[in-house]
Amino acid sequence: MVAAGAIVAAGAIMLTACGRGDGAAGGPESKGEIDDKPATGTVEIWAMGNEGEVLGELAAKFEEENPDVTIDVTAVPWESAHDRIATAIAGGETPDISMLGTTWVGEFAATGAFEPTPDGLVDEGDFFEGSWNTTVVDDVAYGVPWYVDTRVLYYRTDLAEAAGVEAPTTWEEYKTFAAALKSQGATSGVSLPPGGFDSWQYVAPLAWQQGGDILDSDGETFEFDSPEWQEAFEFYASFFEEGISEPVRLEGGEIEQKFISGEVGSFFSGPYHVSLLREQGGAEFADKFAVAMVPGADTRTSFTGGGNLAVFDDSENRDAAWKFVRWLSQPETQVQWYDISTDLPSVEAAWDDPVFADDPYLSVFGEQLADSKAPPAIPTWAQVSAIVDQELEKVTRGETNVEDALAAVQQQAESIGTGQ
Amino acid sequence: MSATTKDTAVSDAARDAASARSTSTGSPSRRRRRPRPRWWLYVVLTLGLVAMVMPFVWMLLGSFKTTAEIRQYPTNFWPIEPTIDNYTQLFGRLDFATFFTNSIIVAVFVTLGNIVFSSMVGYALAKLEFRGKKVLFVLVLGTLMVPGVVTFVPLFVLTANLGLVNSYPGMILPFLITPLGVFLMRQFMLSLPDDIIEAARIDGAGEWRTFLSVIMPLCGPAVATLTILTFLGSWNNFLWPLVVATSEDKYTLPVALALYSVGQNAAQYGLMMAGAVVVVVPVLLIFVVLQRYFVQGIALTGIK
Amino acid sequence: MATLAPQAPARARASRRSRHATLVAWGFAAPFLILFLVFMAGPIVASLMMSFTDLTTRDLQTPFNVNFVGFENYAELFADPRFVRSLLNTAVFVIVGVPLTMALALAVALALNTGIAKFRTVFRVGYYAPVVTSIVAIAIVWRFILQPDGLLNGFLGWFGIAGPGWLQSTTWALPSLILMAVWRNIGTLMVIFLAGLQGVPKEHHEAAMVDGANAFQRFGNITIPAMRPTLLFAAVITGIGFLQFFEEPFVMTRGGPLDATLSAAMYTFNQFGFGNYSYASAASYVLFLAIVALSLIQFRLLGKKD
Repeated sequence: MVAAGAIVAAGAIMLTACGRGDGAAGGPESKGEIDDKPATGTVEIWAMGNEGEVLGELAAKFEEENPDVTIDVTAVPWESAHDRIATAIAGGETPDISMLGTTWVGEFAATGAFEPTPDGLVDEGDFFEGSWNTTVVDDVAYGVPWYVDTRVLYYRTDLAEAAGVEAPTTWEEYKTFAAALKSQGATSGVSLPPGGFDSWQYVAPLAWQQGGDILDSDGETFEFDSPEWQEAFEFYASFFEEGISEPVRLEGGEIEQKFISGEVGSFFSGPYHVSLLREQGGAEFADKFAVAMVPGADTRTSFTGGGNLAVFDDSENRDAAWKFVRWLSQPETQVQWYDISTDLPSVEAAWDDPVFADDPYLSVFGEQLADSKAPPAIPTWAQVSAIVDQELEKVTRGETNVEDALAAVQQQAESIGTGQ
Repeated sequence: MSATTKDTAVSDAARDAASARSTSTGSPSRRRRRPRPRWWLYVVLTLGLVAMVMPFVWMLLGSFKTTAEIRQYPTNFWPIEPTIDNYTQLFGRLDFATFFTNSIIVAVFVTLGNIVFSSMVGYALAKLEFRGKKVLFVLVLGTLMVPGVVTFVPLFVLTANLGLVNSYPGMILPFLITPLGVFLMRQFMLSLPDDIIEAARIDGAGEWRTFLSVIMPLCGPAVATLTILTFLGSWNNFLWPLVVATSEDKYTLPVALALYSVGQNAAQYGLMMAGAVVVVVPVLLIFVVLQRYFVQGIALTGIK
Repeated sequence: MATLAPQAPARARASRRSRHATLVAWGFAAPFLILFLVFMAGPIVASLMMSFTDLTTRDLQTPFNVNFVGFENYAELFADPRFVRSLLNTAVFVIVGVPLTMALALAVALALNTGIAKFRTVFRVGYYAPVVTSIVAIAIVWRFILQPDGLLNGFLGWFGIAGPGWLQSTTWALPSLILMAVWRNIGTLMVIFLAGLQGVPKEHHEAAMVDGANAFQRFGNITIPAMRPTLLFAAVITGIGFLQFFEEPFVMTRGGPLDATLSAAMYTFNQFGFGNYSYASAASYVLFLAIVALSLIQFRLLGKKD
């Protein structure tokens, strides 16, 4: 009763809410540097899915090195992990550290719930630039990149050989390549989602490859109305118009099956597909496919994602939390982590390890990561990207033309704003 | 207000039943003339049945397939190499006993609370005259109509302020009552004739005794329905336990199983199917146990 | 206060009795009421207030430092063509889905209650199965049915009909999902109707049989009136459930193709996901008003004077 009364009263106060006060949204300050003494106390960390399940194994090594520390790992399901973090922030019930999807950093950093990365904790030059940038909001870094993910081109080597084409490096070659695979009996020379959920991840790199971007260099203005985006949309849509790609969205499970059966000649995906294809295609399929860097224009930029680690501002054991984060981003730890989780290292030095350098598939991912980019860390990105998905679908279905579609994206993106 | 047509035969029977306080559960009279079985009805119902249980059967069979086999397209109906790997993995990787116990604790308390409280309010709303009755009913209906997700964040903040995060009370209390349960009990009790209550009053029974020994015994089918609905709801509830249970020792089954849906692409379907089967079994058992209440001719007619 | 007016004792007695009755009744309601006020009314009021502010994710830690914006969120909602579209989709879904589910569930319940004598348990459990089957399994199987080269088109192929790609078509995606939702919800209503049918006095049926009424007359004159409260309950909860139509589009189409299956609940869910808490709350309350309106209609049609 009392609590309910309090809420009602709070609601009444809300009606006379004092307002936000413009600008000067001074987020939390870093609470100083982290020393090199062993970590002590208990550290609670949330990690999603597979990472949450196997992190305990790695944490045990940290506990060996720091006998007075206890790492308390809670595995959180990916679905709704976003809601869980949001409600935890609202209720003041946060852990010390949480893993975050790279695209969430902007949104949650805006709440002021994270402590900025202390000076001298890590050297930002050690990380892939694209990944480091996912931690940066308004020139302040929150946490560090933990593992990375990027997309490369998976293609059927036997079909390519039969058609006399090689892995493409330019847009033109890419078009020829996909058409050639189609001539070898594939229904889709390259499988692309015809718009809809997360299809922006396929079209944004095309704009990046020509030097275009989502936000202007000032980080405030959207530039979907640029010629680069126009090019990107047109090029993407041309695959459907010319019948090189079937306008069908393949869900997980369908795509590898159609790739193995030869209905799909090539597609873009992350590292996990290597083992999936080996598993499902059997031994005889293993040498029928290869991966290559994505084809490009001025650059061969691909999309990057992954997971970051952030420390909450009201952590009761921040020193130990940051020490654990620092330890997780050391090259040797990252190589061990790959062994446990198959997550790719976010630290470039880890890629010199023979595990990656000598593997024909993994080395391609390493190369690709040096030229990969993430969307801007703004709180509203999820919302803006949904508009891109929507308008791209209208274009591929022939309901609107590229110019109108991008004008609509630009107009709606501006009305949503960057949320900063 | 009572939706039952007043009929002397019924009321007499009811009065007899009430004054006898007959709570015995004899088997329903089997001497009623059954219509001759219509074969076409069986055919139609069987076709429907096939359509209804297909995904369920598929889920069951899928739990005995390897993930690779499930993800094959087009997939086979029968497992080619049946395996119990999914189950051994599931029980091996998950601290199954804990999650199962948590689910049971939460679901049992939620279901019991709903039965007790909903029956009480439902009775007041259906059979008692009092001031504020309309307001109460409108409130119940009103809350039933507010989309659940909207109160999610305020509810969590409240739970956090009450210090109930990561505790059983935090997982149970917000669901101990559901407007749906109240509404269900009220509607069912509306169709009970008023005469039985009158008869009980004439016999000098107080409100509480009337409620406990006359009304509740007649509510078997409604309580069975409510039990199934609330148990199922609580058992499958995902989002609330996920945010309230902040450590794994408080996770319920659906939350723990969701750990395996690793993104959209790398889902281990075989494991998920096995997990889904495990989640479904208790609910189906409860259904099978309680469904006999749907055929028991209840004491309304006095033929018990 | 006893007065000396002649009819006073009687009136005082009556009011005493009514006061006593009121106390007893609220006694029955008390435990419910306490929990209700704390865990339901409170959060509902808070979220309603929220819908008049501009609260987003960034304010989660400081929910009171927000601006009061009046009905701006509501105005913005109706200015968004996608939201209007989602309302229309939801309306189609409810208008087609609710009567269909109720009719089928009632037919099944009647058949299982009186029409057949054998295997009733098997049928009852079988028809309830979709309710407990995991949505993931359901989604996979239904996708398999609805694919361009799936079961349904294979079946239509026998009759020389070339079926569309059901879920990829802006015309057919919504009807496909309606069918799926109806299929999933029959079981719940069947259970409720089976319970309700127990309240139909058998003597009435027997008496009517003696009077020579046929099955349809008996159904119309005896079963339906006696089932009224149950039917009303079923109609209201199905209406509420279908207005909050979410799971099917979420797992099958994500609201696509081109918003053809975007439901109001899904629109709201997306807005919550974007962290626009106030705006999403406003969308929820629009949905709430739609539910109230639908329920009023149902009470008018099915309820007796309450």
